[in-house]
Amino acid sequence: MDIVRRGLAKRYRAERRFKAMGVLAIGASLLFLAMLFVSIAGNGYTAFQQTHIRLEVSLEPEAFEGISLSAADYAGLVKKSLRRMFPEVSGRGDLRQLYALVSSGAGYRLREMVMARPQLVGQTLPLWVPADDDVDMLIKGHFGGEASGSATRLSDSQRQWIDRLKAEGKIEKRFNRTFFTTGDSREPELAGIRGAVAGSFFTLVVTLALSFPIGVAAAIYLEEFAPRNRWTDLIEVNINNLAAVPSIVFGLLGLAVFLNFFGLPRSAPLVGGLVLTLMTLPTIIIASRAALKSVPPSIREGALGIGASKMQMVLHHVLPLAMPGMLTGTIIGMARALGETAPLLMIGMVAFIVDIPGSLTDPSTVLPVQIYLWADSPERAFVERTSAAIMILLAFLIVMNAAAVYLRKKFEKRW
Amino acid sequence: MTPTTLFFLLCGLSLVAYAIGRRRALATGAASGGLKRLHSRPTYYGLLAALWCAIPALIVFAAWQAFETPLITELVVAELPESIRSLPESRLGLVVNDIRNLVAGNIVAGDIDPAMRQAAARYRSLQATSHAALAVIVLSVGGAGAFWVRQRISVRLRARNQVEAVINWGLIFCATLAIFVTIGIVMSVLYESIRFFQAVPVTEFLFGLKWSPQVAIRADQVGSSGAFGAVPVFAGTALISAIAMLVAVPIGLMSAIYLSEYAGRRFRAVAKPLIEILAGIPTVVYGYFAALTVAPFIRDNGALLGLDVSSESALAAGLVMGVMIIPFVSSLSDDVINAVPQALRDGAYGLGATRSETIRHVVIPAALPGIVGGVLLAVSRAIGETMIVVMAAGLAANLTANPLQAVTTVTVQIVTLLVGDQEFDSPKTLAAFALGLLLFVVTLILNLIALYVVRKYREQYE
Amino acid sequence: MVRKFAVGLFSLAMVAAFTPNAGAQSARDYISIVGSSTVYPFATVVAEQFGKTTPFKTPKIESTGSGGGFKLFGAGVGVEHPDITNASRAIKSSEKEMCRKNGVSEIIEVKIGYDGIVLANSKKAPLMQVSRKDIFLALAKNVPDPDNPGQLMANPYKTWKDVNPDLPAVAIEVLGPPPTSGTRDAFAELALEGGAKSFDFIAAMKAKDKKQYKAVCHTVREDGAYVEAGENDNLIVQKLDANPNAFGVFGFSFLDQNADKIQGSAIDGVQPTFDAIADGKYPVSRPLFFYVKKAHVGQIPGMAEYLKEFASEKAWGPDGYLSEKGLIPMPDAEREQYRQAVENLTPMPMN
Repeated sequence: MDIVRRGLAKRYRAERRFKAMGVLAIGASLLFLAMLFVSIAGNGYTAFQQTHIRLEVSLEPEAFEGISLSAADYAGLVKKSLRRMFPEVSGRGDLRQLYALVSSGAGYRLREMVMARPQLVGQTLPLWVPADDDVDMLIKGHFGGEASGSATRLSDSQRQWIDRLKAEGKIEKRFNRTFFTTGDSREPELAGIRGAVAGSFFTLVVTLALSFPIGVAAAIYLEEFAPRNRWTDLIEVNINNLAAVPSIVFGLLGLAVFLNFFGLPRSAPLVGGLVLTLMTLPTIIIASRAALKSVPPSIREGALGIGASKMQMVLHHVLPLAMPGMLTGTIIGMARALGETAPLLMIGMVAFIVDIPGSLTDPSTVLPVQIYLWADSPERAFVERTSAAIMILLAFLIVMNAAAVYLRKKFEKRW
Repeated sequence: MTPTTLFFLLCGLSLVAYAIGRRRALATGAASGGLKRLHSRPTYYGLLAALWCAIPALIVFAAWQAFETPLITELVVAELPESIRSLPESRLGLVVNDIRNLVAGNIVAGDIDPAMRQAAARYRSLQATSHAALAVIVLSVGGAGAFWVRQRISVRLRARNQVEAVINWGLIFCATLAIFVTIGIVMSVLYESIRFFQAVPVTEFLFGLKWSPQVAIRADQVGSSGAFGAVPVFAGTALISAIAMLVAVPIGLMSAIYLSEYAGRRFRAVAKPLIEILAGIPTVVYGYFAALTVAPFIRDNGALLGLDVSSESALAAGLVMGVMIIPFVSSLSDDVINAVPQALRDGAYGLGATRSETIRHVVIPAALPGIVGGVLLAVSRAIGETMIVVMAAGLAANLTANPLQAVTTVTVQIVTLLVGDQEFDSPKTLAAFALGLLLFVVTLILNLIALYVVRKYREQYE
Repeated sequence: MVRKFAVGLFSLAMVAAFTPNAGAQSARDYISIVGSSTVYPFATVVAEQFGKTTPFKTPKIESTGSGGGFKLFGAGVGVEHPDITNASRAIKSSEKEMCRKNGVSEIIEVKIGYDGIVLANSKKAPLMQVSRKDIFLALAKNVPDPDNPGQLMANPYKTWKDVNPDLPAVAIEVLGPPPTSGTRDAFAELALEGGAKSFDFIAAMKAKDKKQYKAVCHTVREDGAYVEAGENDNLIVQKLDANPNAFGVFGFSFLDQNADKIQGSAIDGVQPTFDAIADGKYPVSRPLFFYVKKAHVGQIPGMAEYLKEFASEKAWGPDGYLSEKGLIPMPDAEREQYRQAVENLTPMPMN
């Protein structure tokens, strides 16, 4: 007894050390997570606002004479109203600089308004139009300090005009609705993520609809029914191996099989989903098997003992108990699929697509690819949009995880 | 009727078949002296009817869908003017595309001549006929299947066995899919790899110590030293993966232990999903983090210590990759640890062990095969990871074990070789396929070893 | 059981709901473009403009790299193949051969302008004045041995001062594209070869042994002074900002957009400005192209109109919107030549 006592203090110390290590490990992971989130949010939150400039656009009837509403020179009308605001500006070069304050999307916005309400023709209406991305960056303070005109993309006179607009209250930051309602664009102030979100959604629908049932079925067969022989060994090695194949190789497979052999269209979410299905299947199968393994044999024996068939035993008793684990695996797999870029490169989804996809075969891109493309764009304003897109992607991820946590909590059991 | 509506209809029909089968079984059972006389439970009769309704009809449906478009196209083309029909096949395809655009009401190229308009009208009418025919056939096949089963329902019908056989075949099919995927991958990589090995000898590729794909991009420029030795590339992969595992395994495992053995329900409910988020962050984001935050940090601190640290050090990429992999290790180990029966723990406590002693000497050994499986999955994830290393690890193939130097990995090389500007048939591009193949083989060998180990030490507790 | 069954059916039905109507499956009503990631930022501007101002759909532009682009482009004529490929280099004879073999017999070559390649560093460091010879000596794998005239040696230079006493004593660290990149290729040809030629014996080698000459000129050192940093130029810019001693090699548009952070080194006394590149004073710039399948013009909706938009003055002219994005316009005569090629759909010679 004394020997035990003497050792006790030491053993309790070891116990505390061990526990502290656990806390430390979790703390480290969460710290990383927090660091990532803070750095992303710090970069990206400004993208949810966009600088707008207030113009007085007069829709003179002359501009619409003899042509259809859609063909009128709306960009010209925008320019005209800018000239009216700064009547002293003249000369080709100066005027070009003046026009550059406003986004090229201003004309399109005006056109949309007039097309929707043709009775506006002949009126003068106040209109908030998006400012050019360089102006936006200046207002948001992303051009380091007050560097002189030559160092940035805005000239001194442009800066003076902006200061004047500011003094007159004709320039302000507003909520960036465009970012959520449009597809990709080469003008940062017009670029949005809706196209990419739709593409991701379609792709994931395909992936989930295929990989979850197939993965669970394969796991059930391998774990519960398959005889232990060379054939099942082969399958097992194969599955483990596929989990290690770099994702871009799945892209090559998709290119060879789905595009060249089956002739499916390039850049389609359908093909993207199929490729991601193949990629996530091993993850789901392995996790599902682990979950099935963790169901104690007594459950199986109990079910068989009261006369269930093997299939009934598995489907009615083992499977429901293994479901939480399977869901965990599926979530990890889906999360990976949602964030995947490389395989989509080979099947044409790394692309500039403006129109929002409406079906499984429309050309589309996905969120991580959009992030990748924006990250590679020269325009400075894409930096914050990249981070903002990442925030959206993370938001989706958190929602998915929350759903899974809810499901798991409902079922989780401990033996 | 569009195929989509038809599909919904078929689903509805099989639901009806289920109900009919079930009711019929109940009635049959009741008529012959109680439900227990039935061979199977009534549900199985319903399911059997539904399966017979849906499966044959779906096969017809799929076959029809596959042949419908080419057949209609053939018929439409046959009616086109001779001048168009005599075009080579690929040009004809463009004309057909125009017709289809016209049918779908999309915008078309150029002017629409009457012949095209006529063709489009014909296309449309053929399509309508086809859809109607399909609807009739599919629904009658489905109905016939259901009816046939209904007629057969008797107390002797072994409905459960039949349904289970179908399910069993479905399960087998799903499991074998992995084999087909593997075959597909090998086939799609092998052909190009063989072409690569015609240009570069296999031995040089496997044992060469120098990787420098500086082959000329254009014909007039005779390239310089092109060396295709894969050893440094694989060594780099191994180095970065090892660093990643050094981060991920201790942190992941300790997190899993803490979460499953110490943490209260509340804490666990919050911390576990939070850690899992780490797995879902797009790797592009990690790549940025590694390249712009971690790498300069390591570089500056290394400089303070008087070390010569490359700005693309393997350490930075490996650390960040390790963070990404933590949830893989922790989630899977957590599940396995939870699966260790409580009786084992109680036994250890009963002998007077402390919690940590129980964990170290009882729980972990019991869970080890599963943990090893999880770690192996994580290793394979590390080897196959692309975007982090593309951004943070650089491309220079140094053969070194120094984590402060820049190394390159197989996946980085595959990506850069495939998306480069060189012509697609040059050894440079083909090398990507050879690397892919070799990576495939290497992981296969690793997995064979792992399978052997896990199987040998696996135990099942109760 | 019934509930599960219904759930299964419902999810199947959901999948089916999103699958397209088979009839319109393979109809394509948009232009499909593939190719170089360098041309991508310019082609996308035109595509967007085109999509917004015409009734046609916005073309789909994939970024596949020049080689991958030609591979797809040359695979054949037909809706399933792309209509246009962008390239940061001219088409190679082997690629022409592939096109011809697959029935792509008529291709229109369109040069769209020039892209300057800059050597830049952080604004926190002093501006560098280098010659192409300095660049060659700093970055080539083998350099002339000053002790043994006419002989080459492995590059021994560690700092810029070693290369040229006028330069600062800063370690040579240049972040640039990998050998698979057309940018790297052009940089080697224009900057390194240009510098190598200033050594008489290397220039003499050109006539004697062209292969060796090219090898000397184009091989970049692999001892860590030249860091292959991948194709993401924004990443290079940010790394330069974090490390004032490093230099980066990338396209002019990235310098243009990040003028508050980085500065382009003057090469042979000329700083990389828009005007200097446009009138040819700045020595390191290369042409960009796209290639059009003639058989698709008039068959895929919008082809002719897209070409017209690209070849219009308001797009690629000196004041056009492409120049805003950093594309250096061609001289007037050259622009006119290519505009006519586009208008008349003049195919290029195929051999």
